[in-house]
Amino acid sequence: MAVLEISDLVVEWDARTGERVPVRRADVVARLHAAGDRRAARIVQRMPVAGEFLDPVAMDELLVRVHTELQRLNEELHMAQRFAELLVPLLTAIRASRSRLRVVDIGCGLGFMVRSLAASGVLGADVELVGVDFNRALIAEATRLAEDERLPCTFLHANAFALTEDATVYLSSGVLHHFAADELPEFFRAQDRAGTLAFIHYDISATRLAPLGAWLFHRARMREPLGRHDGVASALRAHDDTVLLSAVEAAAGMDAFLFEPSIHANPFCAAMRPVVGLRPALVDNFRHALGRRARGLVAG
Amino acid sequence: MATAVPVLLGLLALIDAAFAGFRAATGRNARIHKRPYYLLAARRGLAGGAIGLVLVALPVAVALSGSADPGTRYDELVRAGMRMLQVLVPFAALVVASLLTYWLLPMRESTFVILVGLGPFTLLRPVVALGAAVWAVAGSTDWLPWAVATAATASVLAVEPVVHRCWYRAPV
Repeated sequence: MAVLEISDLVVEWDARTGERVPVRRADVVARLHAAGDRRAARIVQRMPVAGEFLDPVAMDELLVRVHTELQRLNEELHMAQRFAELLVPLLTAIRASRSRLRVVDIGCGLGFMVRSLAASGVLGADVELVGVDFNRALIAEATRLAEDERLPCTFLHANAFALTEDATVYLSSGVLHHFAADELPEFFRAQDRAGTLAFIHYDISATRLAPLGAWLFHRARMREPLGRHDGVASALRAHDDTVLLSAVEAAAGMDAFLFEPSIHANPFCAAMRPVVGLRPALVDNFRHALGRRARGLVAG
Repeated sequence: MATAVPVLLGLLALIDAAFAGFRAATGRNARIHKRPYYLLAARRGLAGGAIGLVLVALPVAVALSGSADPGTRYDELVRAGMRMLQVLVPFAALVVASLLTYWLLPMRESTFVILVGLGPFTLLRPVVALGAAVWAVAGSTDWLPWAVATAATASVLAVEPVVHRCWYRAPV
């Protein structure tokens, strides 16, 4: 039976226009019941409605609250440092042939990654940092937070499958498991475009321990029932290494790698691991810039 | 022991309260730089813990002063406090060790500490506090240690939800 995340169901956007679509609460509850997830159905049943539709303002506030809590988990997992660990050598390798560098975080949510990298300045002042998300409420909140701290980064509305934002490097964190396995090739193909030299997509490592770890982590750290539910569902939906590497082949112009996949790392420490796509001409320079850590870059 | 036990218990309660204040504020601020925000939250927790200590200590002082044999009853309280420390000190030591490990280890290994230490410890904390209270008064027939252990445990466990409700119900 399909594992569903509540956050994927309670807000809906028209893929063509980007406009919000009303969501009938009874439909979401029925879908969750059909998936055998009574707990999730109960959580949605308690959500406020305007008429028969889920209240859009309340849903936006809820998702902002959940993403704010989620940021704490990203902070504890040192996700910004994990990205910097790969981005710094990657951009070093790219700088030799490029003057303009643009890093775009797809599905950025509240933009923690982009804002954190902007705040640290670790990538250098010549790197433009952009976050994109399909949810306009999250983009508005990310923009507010960045302006509040005067961080040099921007946030825009965009569809992950029809990217309008050019990038030298695309990123994402915790986004891949939101897509079905058969949607992943299209996601990667959309990034195999002129001007793009690489992508780094971190997601939950699909180990046997992942659901237990996710339960513990979310139970201990998150207050929102939605967040606790979706945290475990995310781990259950995580794609294994084979699925990811197979999907990355759709980006035919890129060489695909996993960085420290679970079979090469202590499974307790491999809670998150990225799939990396690189233009072939870049691979040697990137390995050289990575130094000792290049051993963790495993080809597909 | 007559002084060391209550002082040590009080110190543990205050340190725990500061961390409780920190936890009450977590997940409510998505800014990147949050040091002043967390320090304020810890101070709020500390103040809550101090108020809790006073609320526990004052009735104890009143009860002892009105007692026919205050020395015996105080000794009974100290014995209960020592038993409480037998549970709390090892747990506190584990938490401190986990925190140090989290701060000192490289990022992947410190993630491991979150999963096997600090995360589960957060979940275990109320159980440990209740267990310490039960162990403290086990075998005691005097109502005063029972009342003090119950009030102290309730006070310690109340800090985080009270601080959260007062200041951190919504994201800032």
